[in-house]
Amino acid sequence: MSVSELTMQERDMRKVTVKQRVVKIAVQVLLYLFLITMAVIVIFPFYWMLISSVKSLAEYQRAVPTLFPKEILLSNYVEAFKQANLGRLFLNTLYVGVVSTLLSLVITVLSAFAFARLEFKGKNALFAALLATMMIPGELFTITNYVTVYSLKWMNTFTVLIVPFLVSVFYIYLLRQNFMQIPNELYLAAKVDGTSDIKYLWKVMIPLSLPTLISITILKMMGAWNSYVWPRLVANDEAHRLITNGLRNAFTESTGDVNIPVQMAAVAIVSFPLFLVFIFLRKYIMKGVSRSGIKG
Amino acid sequence: MKKIIVAVILLLALCLNTLALASCKKDAKDVDFVVPEEGFDTSTPVTITFYHTMGQNLRDVLDRYIVEFNKIYPNITINHQQVGGYDDVRDQIKTEIAVGGQPNIAYCYPDHVALYNLAKAAISMDNLIASEMTVTRQDGTTETLGLTQTQIDDFIKGYYEEGKQFGDGKMYTLPLSKSTEVLYYNKTFFDANGITPPTTWDEMEQVCKRIKEIDPDSIPLGYDSESNWFINLCEQLNSPYTSATGDHFLFDNETNRNFVAKFREWYQKGYVTTQEISGGYTSALFVKASTEAGNSYMSIGSSAGATHQRPEKSGGSYPFEVGITTVPQMDAANPKVISQGPSLCIFNKSNPQEVLASWLFVKYLTTCVEFQAEFSMASGYVPVIKSVNNNEIYKTQFLDKADGGDNIAALSIKVGLQQEAAYYTSPAFNGSSAARDQVGLLMQKCLTAQTDDVAGMIKKAFEDAVAECKYQAG
Amino acid sequence: MVESKHSWKAWIYLSPAILLLLVFTVWPIINTVRMSLLEGYSSMGAAGGISYSFGIGNFKQVLEYKDFLKCLGNTMLLCVLTVPISTLLALLIAVCLNAIKPLQRLLQTIFFLPYVTNSIAIGMVFAAMFNMVGSAFGGENEIIITAGIINNVIEFFGGTRVNWINVGSSYIANIVVMVIYIVWNALPFKILILLGGLQSINKQYYDAAKVDGTRRIRVFGRITVPLLSPMLAYVVITGFIGGFKEYSSIVGIFGDDMGPTGDPGRLNTVVGFIYDALGNHQGRASAAALILFGIIFVVTLINLYVSKKKTHY
Repeated sequence: MSVSELTMQERDMRKVTVKQRVVKIAVQVLLYLFLITMAVIVIFPFYWMLISSVKSLAEYQRAVPTLFPKEILLSNYVEAFKQANLGRLFLNTLYVGVVSTLLSLVITVLSAFAFARLEFKGKNALFAALLATMMIPGELFTITNYVTVYSLKWMNTFTVLIVPFLVSVFYIYLLRQNFMQIPNELYLAAKVDGTSDIKYLWKVMIPLSLPTLISITILKMMGAWNSYVWPRLVANDEAHRLITNGLRNAFTESTGDVNIPVQMAAVAIVSFPLFLVFIFLRKYIMKGVSRSGIKG
Repeated sequence: MKKIIVAVILLLALCLNTLALASCKKDAKDVDFVVPEEGFDTSTPVTITFYHTMGQNLRDVLDRYIVEFNKIYPNITINHQQVGGYDDVRDQIKTEIAVGGQPNIAYCYPDHVALYNLAKAAISMDNLIASEMTVTRQDGTTETLGLTQTQIDDFIKGYYEEGKQFGDGKMYTLPLSKSTEVLYYNKTFFDANGITPPTTWDEMEQVCKRIKEIDPDSIPLGYDSESNWFINLCEQLNSPYTSATGDHFLFDNETNRNFVAKFREWYQKGYVTTQEISGGYTSALFVKASTEAGNSYMSIGSSAGATHQRPEKSGGSYPFEVGITTVPQMDAANPKVISQGPSLCIFNKSNPQEVLASWLFVKYLTTCVEFQAEFSMASGYVPVIKSVNNNEIYKTQFLDKADGGDNIAALSIKVGLQQEAAYYTSPAFNGSSAARDQVGLLMQKCLTAQTDDVAGMIKKAFEDAVAECKYQAG
Repeated sequence: MVESKHSWKAWIYLSPAILLLLVFTVWPIINTVRMSLLEGYSSMGAAGGISYSFGIGNFKQVLEYKDFLKCLGNTMLLCVLTVPISTLLALLIAVCLNAIKPLQRLLQTIFFLPYVTNSIAIGMVFAAMFNMVGSAFGGENEIIITAGIINNVIEFFGGTRVNWINVGSSYIANIVVMVIYIVWNALPFKILILLGGLQSINKQYYDAAKVDGTRRIRVFGRITVPLLSPMLAYVVITGFIGGFKEYSSIVGIFGDDMGPTGDPGRLNTVVGFIYDALGNHQGRASAAALILFGIIFVVTLINLYVSKKKTHY
């Protein structure tokens, strides 16, 4: 092998690395371009909601929409808060959200534990049956459930908003997948040590699956926040009304049309806590929900 | 052990099963309420619930008069609540009837009562109205349980008759407050151009043509409710629409197809638009005046929505004055205008005292002059009894000040009161709301569809609408 | 595994969940079957004392009704369009997100935002963006007051405006809007799952590929997709189940009429059909719901079968 041949090879190598670097940078630029474009598309409706919420009615109805409001009318927000009695609605929703989340967590943990760690006859059949119920359109439960809660005399109570939806097959499924990733040896070792199931659950399984539990908590709270059809049907009095429902009620008068900027302001106020929770706890949601993928 | 648990669960499920089934079972009921011989018991406390759609300002009025009512009947407690809009009231009650949990009194439209009647849940009021029994109030004075002839005569006749249109001649509702459709027009513009407000549809066509010449970018007329438009024309042309008995859906006929075809031409010429087609209440186009393209100079909408037909003040004054008149007619000498707005119905209950208490309250709200006056002023609805017009405050503080600006609500009520003799209502039966919806959709479709075969399209749209009505009612 | 004589313990742990499910899920299902088999059943009629006979009349009425097939067609079309589009787009975004360092967290957060919204409320925002205000669109007397922000953007780039959702709009335009909205709604969940999957793929595979000098596309096709296949199967299956239950997104854009003005019900779906019937025809609603359940069941079985063949666990 001659010297000149060697240097030629070296030169080729260098060319390749320069080329590779250019390609790499180009790819990065394209990646960002694509991602940022998509992000703008995704975020635009929120932007539109926000700017509409501070416009005057006249500006909102203009021929060529203004991309940035000429004057910022924060009074829409004050008006929205007053008109919808949002304070009371917030408290009601918070109460229902917290209580139903706590109870739901207990039930979900116990069930997921049974499915993940215990052996019993008909386990797989039962689990399959539970999953099958997820496929049924929930709208259909409404009529029958209404009759049931009425017979139980639960109308216009917080109970009726909490109990019927305590069990979510989806959350049991989520948590079971998570529990199953924890090595069974740990459990068997604990059994040998004479640790009780509950203690084992509390000391080992719950800490190890905390991200999933947190994400279940958030999803459940969000559910309370966004629920609409059921609360309207069973607890539509002032004392128990929830936020989405109250929002709609506030903007339905017997005559007259709706001031859309004020309505947008109310929607924005209601959306804000959710965004906040989401931004701060994003990590847990990611970890929890992504672990629910079909693994194990 | 396991078997025991399974058995327990099965047992529980079974119990629940029978529980839910039992609550569904009801004996066939009779809608005629029989007034108990002992009459109304003024000593035992009784609580009644009342569903409505009132906003805060109207609830305040109601609360004040409940206090007044309780002065004469202290043993009646009235719980009332706003259940969203009219459809929400209907849907909630519908579900509650299935389990026997309906309220005592509710805001209703005739279609709703036709629905409740499927379950025989609303009572017919005939025996109550006719009752000559005496009830002693708290202050020692007495009243007749039923309605006296004077009280019946005091009701605006068209409104009162509305309670009897269910095909069996029985009275199911009493009117609470009413509205109708009126024609709002831009008086300033009309005066400036020497146009007189149209009274007939022929005149309307001429006015639209004229306005289109003056302002080609405008749509002269906005008609809010497509359904009302269709039903009005049927009534004015004396052409069949629906019937409470026999074959229900009669609106697919030559006369009706012809007027729809005519209005399609109007739409295609840019004369007219509707709420659904324009994507919002047509008052939005009306109040814009000539500031933007697509504005209108006339708007047909609810008389109770007058304040929405008034432009926003700029520089301390209104940009134009609003005029209000009767909607266009086929025959101006024999006008027909639709009657809308809530009535009250009373639901059947196992305890007749609840029904009597409900009746006394319904009677109070519909016949109390002060309440009717105040409610009308607060809501913009037309009162249902004539004697309100003699109420001093109502007359001097409200009606006499009517104008096309600040006091526009009074003006529209005034027009509403003047056409007292022209009110009509359509029959109500299981499927009447489907018919109402379908003719509205039919109008939208026939006005806007892009096709070369107009007659064929209209024919098919009518056939489809009737078929859909039958499916819904079947 | 654990000795089965302790199985009673499992039942105790499960008892709260089972009890509640029996009351609020299983019983409603039984009752649904019952109502579907009572000919012409309506709860109002039942409350009024009418008794109904057993039969399959409800199923027949539903299947013979012309609008039911239309609803089914719409539902399937939306499913077939939105599931692949949203899955591919989510995959693309997830892969891109996984390949960048700066701004990754911010962009992730932005992509998750639609997850926390009420589809009816944001649907109204979308509708406002596509909405044209004016009269007689497409006719010679056309008046446009405002064409909507989306059309403004299209015109800004030199395109011609489209009648998306208003009177006289075409079915295709309506479907495009629905696909955009549904995909927008579906992206966050799918990105979440897929990105999680990507991040859990062992770096060693990629390092090995790098040493071998394998090209990016090949790496993607030979390593990323197979290792991601369980997640892909998961998002596709849940996507189909959700897609067959599509309803509120259409209400969000088109309102209760489920179609543009002049042609209501054009975009109605099976769940929309059930809701319509739920008011007065509970028998028919129940029958339609059972039909829907059957369809979802079959589609899920097919999905599972296909993914079992293609998935690498």
